[in-house]
Amino acid sequence: MNIKRTAVLLGKEFIHGPKSFMFVWAVIAPIGFTLIATLAFGTLFSERPKLGIYDKGDSQLVLNIQELDSITTKVYDNTSELKQATENGSVDIGIVLPTSFDDAVKQGESVTIEGYIWGESLAKNRTIIPVTIADLVRALAGQEVPVEIESVTLGEETGIPWNERLLPFLVLMGVFFGGLMLPSTSLIDEKQKKTLEALVITPASIGDIFISKAILGIVLSTFMGIAILVLNNAFGANSPLLVMVLLFGAIMAAELGLIAGALIKDITTLFTIWKSGGIFLFAPVFIYMFPQIPEWIAKIFPTYYALQPVVEISLQGGGWSGISTNFFILVGLDIALIGVIILVLKKSRQFRS
Amino acid sequence: MAQNAIIADNLTYLYGDLVAVDHISFSVARGEILGFLGPNGAGKTTTVKILTGQLKPKEGKATLLDMDVTRNVERVQAEIGVCFEETNLYQRMSAIENLKLFARLFGVTDFDSYALLKRVGLAGREKDRVENYSKGMKQRLMVARSLVSQPQILFLDEPTAGLDPTSSEAIRNIILEERKRGATIFLTTHDMMEADKLSDRVAFMNQGKIVALDTPHNLKQQYGKRALKARISSKDGRLESREIDLDTPQTADAVRGLFEKEKVVTIHSEEATLEDIFIKITGRRLTE
Repeated sequence: MNIKRTAVLLGKEFIHGPKSFMFVWAVIAPIGFTLIATLAFGTLFSERPKLGIYDKGDSQLVLNIQELDSITTKVYDNTSELKQATENGSVDIGIVLPTSFDDAVKQGESVTIEGYIWGESLAKNRTIIPVTIADLVRALAGQEVPVEIESVTLGEETGIPWNERLLPFLVLMGVFFGGLMLPSTSLIDEKQKKTLEALVITPASIGDIFISKAILGIVLSTFMGIAILVLNNAFGANSPLLVMVLLFGAIMAAELGLIAGALIKDITTLFTIWKSGGIFLFAPVFIYMFPQIPEWIAKIFPTYYALQPVVEISLQGGGWSGISTNFFILVGLDIALIGVIILVLKKSRQFRS
Repeated sequence: MAQNAIIADNLTYLYGDLVAVDHISFSVARGEILGFLGPNGAGKTTTVKILTGQLKPKEGKATLLDMDVTRNVERVQAEIGVCFEETNLYQRMSAIENLKLFARLFGVTDFDSYALLKRVGLAGREKDRVENYSKGMKQRLMVARSLVSQPQILFLDEPTAGLDPTSSEAIRNIILEERKRGATIFLTTHDMMEADKLSDRVAFMNQGKIVALDTPHNLKQQYGKRALKARISSKDGRLESREIDLDTPQTADAVRGLFEKEKVVTIHSEEATLEDIFIKITGRRLTE
């Protein structure tokens, strides 16, 4: 490998690679799926309910509400400010607490609270805020809460929300779609347009060419993995370890892409194989979607060893001890795939020199 | 420094059971233009691929500039330029971008891409995307690309195929300029006139073997028939043809007799073409 020539080829890949249809698709598809999933299962744009308060007196209720993590509270100085904030959606509900509100409640008097509701607020927010206020008022008055709700899970439900179940699929798609498809389509395109033939008679070796294509795939795929975790609020925990795992997963994706690119003659065949053979890449995500499936089945598939550490760190807060075994298997698979690439190059007449 | 830039020694290559190149041996002197002729499937491209390090021969050895090609692929490829028959430029790049990419891969730093493009007649279109070029322009750019490293050996595979006369002539001039610079040129072509005009020697390849290798003049001497062709006016005014073989003891008498007895309208000499010679040797046409 020659670093200068690889850098020249890498420059070409970075300048001209993003102009390809596959590059755009490799970015758009995983992010599109993420947005659809997060919108459907509510993580991306769902914020805490927002309550606006104008307190004419000095109510303890305001302090009690502000201590709650489940509601965002904003305090206003007069009714018109509160109304304006509610009207433009700064708060879901605005309430006006009268003077001597606490005294009246404690004495058991009937008190009217004037309230405003933003017309576009979510129904769940319109429910959460009044119920929470009613509970706090009862507490202020020194009364028992009249109803206590106990949740009982029925059926096979394990309690894992769907946005968490889909995250492994989204991560795998982000990492493997770009990481695999970009080097493979680029290589096949160069074979079909015969530009590869022009490159291999320069002093650049086929190794330089392969490495430059792999690096673009690895960079894109690592970036996509991070982006999807960030969009799903799952990147915070132990991010350096997470990036390292994503990087080695991206290396596996790029290596598989190079093997596919070296063996497959045209883009149509590549897509046919992707559609039919993609199951082998994506099989491990099913155990996260449906936890009742035994985990050993997923271990048959190499992508499991890239996926499990990501899930362990990002969703279960795990650290090095929880992922070390699978991570070493992942590194081993990456090294083994280098051997496969060398073998493919030796067997393929196209790259023999 | 050896005299020969290219030495092919007993080169053999098989695609499965098909023998594409069958124990061929030849050499090309430094600064020489060798025309490599043969019909489709004769083994020309496979030979070029072996010589340029794209294929390893099953048997034999290729030596370029005193280097064993198989063992020194990168060093050999640093000294050669290849212009392919099929266009294999980066279509979405401009001409300048194409040339600069290959110059960088060859490690060429003092490189004037504008001057090179001017030389091949592409001045003014340097920054256009190659996909908007005509076939002739693309071919001229391919030739320019093969020259970015000022190679010692230039492999040109059908460089003028399908081009208009102006583009063809421009490429032929560049070939002659490169020879003047000292480059050795391995020219694969179907165009007999071109081979005859440009080549110092020509090799005929047929069914994986080299069946003849010599200067065009010697091949014509050896295999061709020289003749005089005359048009005469007969007594009733009709034009008739007469042919006199120039290589017989009776030639002088026959020529004298022609002028004494007939009314000669036109007369010219005719020599065999390389195409005629190829047919004579192989029984096949080059364009088969």
